[in-house]
Amino acid sequence: MKRLRVGLVSWAHVHAAGLARTLATLPQVEFTGSFDETGAAHDGPAHPTLDGLLRASEAVVVASTNAAHRRDTEIAAKAGVHVLCEKPLATTIADALAMIDACRAAGVQLGVALPVRSSPAVAALKEAIDRGTLGRIRAVRGTNPGQYPGRWFGDPIEAGGGAAMDHTVHLADALRWLLDDEFVRVHAELGSFLYGLPVEDCGLLTLDLASGAFASIDCGWSRPATYPTWGGVTMHVVGERGTVDVDVFRQSLTHYDDAAGVTKLVGWGDDLNALMVGGFVDAVLAGRPVPISGADGLRSLEVVVAAYRSAELGRPVAISEVA
Amino acid sequence: MPLRIGVIGTGFAGSTHARAAVGLPGAELRAIAAATIAEAEPLATELGVRVSPDVPALCASEDIDLVVVASPTYLHAEHVIAAARAGKQVFCEKPIARTLDDARAMVRACDQAGVRLAIGHVVRFFPEYRRAKELLDAGTLGRAAVATLTRGTLSVGATRAWYLDAAKSGGVVLDLMLHDLDVLRWWFGEPARVYGKRVADRGGLEYALASVRYDDRPIVQLEASWAEHAGFRTSFELRGDRGMLFHDSRAVVPFVVQSPSGAAGGGVIPAPTLRETPYRRQLRDLVERLARGEPPLVDGREGLRSLALGLAVIESADRNDVVPWTVPA
Repeated sequence: MKRLRVGLVSWAHVHAAGLARTLATLPQVEFTGSFDETGAAHDGPAHPTLDGLLRASEAVVVASTNAAHRRDTEIAAKAGVHVLCEKPLATTIADALAMIDACRAAGVQLGVALPVRSSPAVAALKEAIDRGTLGRIRAVRGTNPGQYPGRWFGDPIEAGGGAAMDHTVHLADALRWLLDDEFVRVHAELGSFLYGLPVEDCGLLTLDLASGAFASIDCGWSRPATYPTWGGVTMHVVGERGTVDVDVFRQSLTHYDDAAGVTKLVGWGDDLNALMVGGFVDAVLAGRPVPISGADGLRSLEVVVAAYRSAELGRPVAISEVA
Repeated sequence: MPLRIGVIGTGFAGSTHARAAVGLPGAELRAIAAATIAEAEPLATELGVRVSPDVPALCASEDIDLVVVASPTYLHAEHVIAAARAGKQVFCEKPIARTLDDARAMVRACDQAGVRLAIGHVVRFFPEYRRAKELLDAGTLGRAAVATLTRGTLSVGATRAWYLDAAKSGGVVLDLMLHDLDVLRWWFGEPARVYGKRVADRGGLEYALASVRYDDRPIVQLEASWAEHAGFRTSFELRGDRGMLFHDSRAVVPFVVQSPSGAAGGGVIPAPTLRETPYRRQLRDLVERLARGEPPLVDGREGLRSLALGLAVIESADRNDVVPWTVPA
């Protein structure tokens, strides 16, 4: 079986540990190790330089801070290495466009690490929509709230924003794919209410799609510290012939843990990271376009940029005003 | 002497209020009126009270002190004003009216007649919403940051055609979302602005979302659906800076029946499992307040403001723009 040599660039993102585990276990991947500019010790082979990691790899997963995605992606592309970039693709549309251009010029693929499409429940929804079982979809109420991730996520420079920058793109991307539609207008209410951050920790986006359907995304870091899991992803989908509720991370055991003094949810559903990274790797190995491209990442980033503009102006903002 | 009650309307609201009045301490159900005598008869027979041939006759009855108006929304103004002019105390099902002009005329008529006007925003009597308000007011949750309230049911239009006519009912926003808009005003006070979206297919699908913003905080989302085909459901999430509350009506049912012949048949709204239903609490509260000479918990002006907020959501959805909220005169 042909395997792809894949490395991990940076451990800055909270998802890095999970991504490293995934790379170490996927049968179609030879994990080449990681580079972390902090020099901290991590699982797997550590490369003292980024160049060293890139020389050993055919593809890398970029898990640096949001603001560093462009730099790391451009370096990887110049080295002829395919890139699977953590979400959001970048913090500005200019950066996202530059990344897409750099990868195109180098002849490497650019993917975005968005696992929601990989959920079997979301795939079942996609199938029901495509078959017409639900009739025309008219509205979707989406929620993707989570706990505050800490680290640099509340830093307006490194993260490029707050909860809206962190969470919006998961559902924005899934909805574009599910509905085969594009967002045209964004309204956002944002607020910094919970952690004293210079960025928003609560947010609600209300969105219009080209087909006339509308949607909303709760993107807040609004889950309390005592919440039994990190957060969740749900969709309430209203079609002309049926209504669907999807709860992506519902499959879990409730664990009342006396030793730790907490109650927590222990997920047992499919590993969405493994499915998502596997889908990227399979496409690169087969020479097919990756499932979620840089262009897809740009589309969902546009929603985020329009959301910030809307919150600033106090009115809905057309995607065409920011794209 | 007990407060003697006459009920106008025999739909879900009318029959619920009439049944709540039976056996209520300090009150006595006397008569029921509907659009036709035939419509009023079954409920009147069931409850052992007389049928009033029509609304004017009910309002003219000397043995009635409180008129409960539970007719279709677009008839509320006509019936409330008739009751007020006859000198009756009035309880009116929500929404107070279909239009602000109607609502203002109702408030004015009751003021001029010197009678009380109560509006049936019954969610203020649901214990889960009351308990949440207690925790909010006690500071247990800290300052409210975000809240989400949802309310859905299967389409009610199949049995009550006037619901499907937006000019008469106001659709899902004035039917369902209005409850939660009123809850917001009760929990948090007056918001700053609203942004609404809705599907309002004539005679078909109705679904709405609203984004409601307060000065500073909280940010609130409301959902109202007539496409909850599995039946009535409410939920809320309330996040303050010291904690969070969750409610889901489907997760708190303490009594579930199944049978080999299929699921136990349920109505549009499932049977409550409380000693005293919220509808009865609402009516008892009003009866007690009237006996003490006090105003109702939710009076006509309060009902008018919640209606105006519902109309602002509809206006926002129709204009695709944010609508600033100002409390109507």
